[in-house]
Amino acid sequence: MTDRYTQAVNSGFTKTLAKKLGLPRPAILRRYRAGDPLAVGPVLVVSDGASQKDADVLAQALLAWDVDVRRQPTDDVRWGAVLLVVTEAETPTDLAEPVLAVGSVLRRLAPNGRVVTVSRAPAEGDSPALSATRNGVDGFLRSLAKELRAGATGNGVVLTDGAAVGAGSTLATVRFFLSAKSAYVDGQLLRVGPAEPTGADLTTDRPLAGKVAVVTGAARGIGASIAQTLARDGATVVCVDVPAAGEGLSRTANDVGGTALQLDVTADDAGTRILAHARERHGALDIVVHNAGILRDKLLANMKPAQWEAVVAVNLAAQLRINETLLAAGLDGLHIVSLASTSGIAGNKGQSNYAFSKAGVIGHTRATASLLAAQGGTANAVAPGFIETDMTSSIPFAIREVARRLPTLAQGGRPVDVAEAIAFLASPAAAGVNGQVLRVCGQHMVGQ
Amino acid sequence: MATRQKTSAPAAGGTAAQPQGVRDAVIVGGNRIPFSRAGKRYADASNQEMFTAALEGLVARFGLQGERLGEVVGGAVLKHSRDFNLIRESVLGSSLSPATPAFDLQQACATGLEATINIANKIRLGQIESGVAGGSDTVSDAPIAVSEGLRRALLEAQHAKTWQARAKALAAIRPGDLKPLVPATDEPRTGLSMGEHQAVTTARWGIAREAQDEVALASHQHLAAAWESGFFDDLVTPFRGVTRDDNLRADTSLEKLASLKPVFGRSLETTPTMTAGNSTPLTDGASTVLLGSREWAESHDLPVLARFVDAETAAVDFVHGHEGLLMAPVHAVPRLLARTGLTLDDIDFFEIHEAFASTVLTTLAAWEDPDYCRDELGLDGAFGTVDRAKINVNGSSLAAGHPFAATGGRIVATAAKLVAQRAAETGRPARALISVCAAGGLGATAVVESV
Amino acid sequence: MTAEPLRTSDGTALRVETQPSLPGLGGLYARGAAASGRIAAGRALPALPVIGAGRSASDTEHDGGPLTLPDVAYRVAGVTTTGLARHLHEYQRLLHEPVADVLPAGYLHVLAFPLATAVMVRGDFPLPLLGMVHLRNAVELRGPVRMGDVLEVRAWAENLRPHRRGVQVDLVAEIRRDGAGPEERAVWRGVSTYLAKGFSLPDAPAVDDESRPEWHLPLPTGRWALGPGTGRAYGAVSGDRNPIHLSALSAKAFGFPRAIAHGMYTAARALADVGHQRGDAYRWTVEFGKPVLLPGTVDLAVTQEEDGFAYVGWNGRRRQKHFSGTVTPL
Repeated sequence: MTDRYTQAVNSGFTKTLAKKLGLPRPAILRRYRAGDPLAVGPVLVVSDGASQKDADVLAQALLAWDVDVRRQPTDDVRWGAVLLVVTEAETPTDLAEPVLAVGSVLRRLAPNGRVVTVSRAPAEGDSPALSATRNGVDGFLRSLAKELRAGATGNGVVLTDGAAVGAGSTLATVRFFLSAKSAYVDGQLLRVGPAEPTGADLTTDRPLAGKVAVVTGAARGIGASIAQTLARDGATVVCVDVPAAGEGLSRTANDVGGTALQLDVTADDAGTRILAHARERHGALDIVVHNAGILRDKLLANMKPAQWEAVVAVNLAAQLRINETLLAAGLDGLHIVSLASTSGIAGNKGQSNYAFSKAGVIGHTRATASLLAAQGGTANAVAPGFIETDMTSSIPFAIREVARRLPTLAQGGRPVDVAEAIAFLASPAAAGVNGQVLRVCGQHMVGQ
Repeated sequence: MATRQKTSAPAAGGTAAQPQGVRDAVIVGGNRIPFSRAGKRYADASNQEMFTAALEGLVARFGLQGERLGEVVGGAVLKHSRDFNLIRESVLGSSLSPATPAFDLQQACATGLEATINIANKIRLGQIESGVAGGSDTVSDAPIAVSEGLRRALLEAQHAKTWQARAKALAAIRPGDLKPLVPATDEPRTGLSMGEHQAVTTARWGIAREAQDEVALASHQHLAAAWESGFFDDLVTPFRGVTRDDNLRADTSLEKLASLKPVFGRSLETTPTMTAGNSTPLTDGASTVLLGSREWAESHDLPVLARFVDAETAAVDFVHGHEGLLMAPVHAVPRLLARTGLTLDDIDFFEIHEAFASTVLTTLAAWEDPDYCRDELGLDGAFGTVDRAKINVNGSSLAAGHPFAATGGRIVATAAKLVAQRAAETGRPARALISVCAAGGLGATAVVESV
Repeated sequence: MTAEPLRTSDGTALRVETQPSLPGLGGLYARGAAASGRIAAGRALPALPVIGAGRSASDTEHDGGPLTLPDVAYRVAGVTTTGLARHLHEYQRLLHEPVADVLPAGYLHVLAFPLATAVMVRGDFPLPLLGMVHLRNAVELRGPVRMGDVLEVRAWAENLRPHRRGVQVDLVAEIRRDGAGPEERAVWRGVSTYLAKGFSLPDAPAVDDESRPEWHLPLPTGRWALGPGTGRAYGAVSGDRNPIHLSALSAKAFGFPRAIAHGMYTAARALADVGHQRGDAYRWTVEFGKPVLLPGTVDLAVTQEEDGFAYVGWNGRRRQKHFSGTVTPL
């Protein structure tokens, strides 16, 4: 799956050549395998003075996960990760010391290393200085991520509404960013609220054990990978796709030991049938992944009604209608994850219909989040960037190459990278992550 | 309407009678691949590939991965000698537990239904809890045999102990022996193709061309409507990029059908009436049906569409024309209904396999003929009239095509879903009668009932 | 060596001349029969009229005198059948008979045929063998003949009589189990009636033209797709390698557009089609109509009658009858 260029610049003579020529050298990303250590080396935990206590809490949690935790930057170590805790910093000057400490070890950050910031979101009523300090972390992290090399990434956990650093969802998010599961997530800040997961085991290999998940568009590509990842994490997966895609769908269902439901998500009764199938055949419905989507790229000037309408019907209206049914059913602890797109955030020429639908997904995700929160559920979205699939492999070579090299990680992501993010957001431990959009784009330059 | 009822068991309100001491076998669902005209999209697909695909779709639909089923039974009419264990090999290539037993069975075009009967009976007897019945056939990938002369010479050479004897055996091969034999649908005992046999039956019963074309048109229209309504969304899984039965001509018309030249019965004295439009085309495909005991279905959280009530097979003496080749179901159905305590009026859906449009029409004509019913079926008078609106309501073989061994599974799953839907709508039990004629003067029939 | 005189059906006494063995039946049957066929053909050919061409009126008298049949019957005793398994089974497969060790009536015809041929190729036989048309055949099998039975075969010609297109003659063959007393009836008796076109008999009553009633095609119960090699295959098994059956080329020499199927092949297949319901003893008749051109398709109707079966074979496209007959269990 690693593209040829990435292979070439990482091995043999072509590696030396690329180095000498100063060509971009995308790294071979480390991806999750059960049993592998969480981090690739010792984890340095640094903080400003006021955040010392929170740093201690996180260091304790890391120790409990069998991580080699250090509190002092030294140069005899190949660092696996750096955790920068600035939750209690109040003025911009508070940041200088811990930030420079991070800087002092970056040259010794191991390939596929991690920098994770933990900070608090600015809120109504914050003093200007506090708000500046907290918002500053955003720009700092995104810039830092861009200077990391060799598959290392930088991401931030942003606590909202007084969420505690020791809360389950905070720890789960820190763990996700430290882990290989976030291989293609880079330069992202994810907000974590105070909602506390119940009985979530953060270290289990099967965080979705006993859960029933529905994945639409599961016949192939990203959908099939989501089904596989959710099943790997222990979920029973109902694989949904249009009847015409049934051959791939049954392959996915049989791969993951789930059931295949041939269904057009735009059908009026799609939500009812999904719910009935999950309940009657598997006794519950805990996770819904709205992955089904279509492209009908056309400049708006040339757009035919059918091209606009089909994209909106499948990518947006179907999700809305299904969610209505699910909300009306009053399911407890329902996790909905929708597929948005970087196009929906930054826009893309020739994709006005697609971008409308995907930005719409982000909109309905935020609105649905508060509706679900009442019953312990969440709604989130994942916005993939350039992912290597059958679909993207049909893009002309030159455009594909440019698209691949644009992100900080200088390569396309894999379907599993999207799936890992979804599996995380769908997990009970992510209860505090609600109404968020997580980009899986290798820090693509466009948009926020 | 239906006039005869041999047993007194009332049926309309209650349920159909069944033998004492057996439990119910229920139909959970089915899966088939779209049927495709011979030589087209499945041209290089083998029976094993097609049956495995149908089975995999079934496993996926019902989440049976790794499940040890009681038995998988099915077959193919046109079969390679290498496929001696076709169904078992398909099971081994599927996601089912490799500890699932399987065997091949063959009853010409009734193979799929006979397989269903077999699985249902084993379940009813308590020998197994679950099973899959089905069948597959490909005309495109059919076995081609060597001529009888070449075959004998090769066998003799193989058995020969010395090279001289071997050479002598091989020397007996004549150039004409090298022409391969392609499988034919001719009846071995008469040399008449099935179409020619049916042309004789059609002539004998005086079935008009127009009536046959109307049956064909209805088949296409019904099947098209069923596809449009999504009826097959949970009965069919696409295969090799084929998403719908590709023999289906939703836009056909009586005018188009009337313009076709007759292909069978052209050497009869009567005007030939059977065309490519009102006869089934050669087709490739495979189908499966999942059955189980009620307890098994319940414990696996599986839906139940229908109960497999009972079945009856029959055979007729067609060799010297005493009876039409495809008339066996005409004999089986009165016996089946008598045993189950049902009359034609108790049946909501008639699934009569459309080997030819005229098969359906001769079947109906025979049941309405008092002399025939007396002389041939041993009834007191006419068996009865079937409401045409109840026949093949979602289309049948004329439109869907007819991959011989796969047709039974298609019909059983369709019938089971029809009665389940009807019962859900009306709140009353619904029944379907299935009738499949087959080569060799055979016929298999069955009744399924909503639960 | 002679035996008791034999009387024909009209009471004529015939000398019985015993032959050492069936012509061509010593050793491997097929090869011998082929040779016999060739000899027969060779002797008869020079005098042959081309079938269908007829003879001029001045040619109709044989040697200037009235036509008379040889006053001799041939007899061969001690015909063993034990070695015939392979040949029998070949015959049975070709004719769609079940492969078994009971000799079908058609097979017995094949056994006896060379002896009848031997009568016909005698110098004093008044009609030419190869020009003759097989009009009809009637066989009675009065019980099963099994492989291993030792048989006695007799053959003679009788009942020379007029036909509207020439003269017809019956070739009678009988098969008895060896050692059967003279009073004991033959277990198999076949009467083959041939027409020699263009011949006439003195003082013969005029034969009315049979006005054929209009014939309606029955509904077929079977169909034979006969390949181009059908005549060669039956020729090899029966020994009857008349050139009109072997190839289009050789058939053209005798006025046929293509090779034609042996009449007895078609009759024997119809007999096989009747199946086991015919029993072990039956009467089997056939009347030949238009020849079956090879390759070709024959539609067949076998119908159950009161006392047995009737069959008819025809060409559906041309609406021509090829043959018809009966199989009547005895």
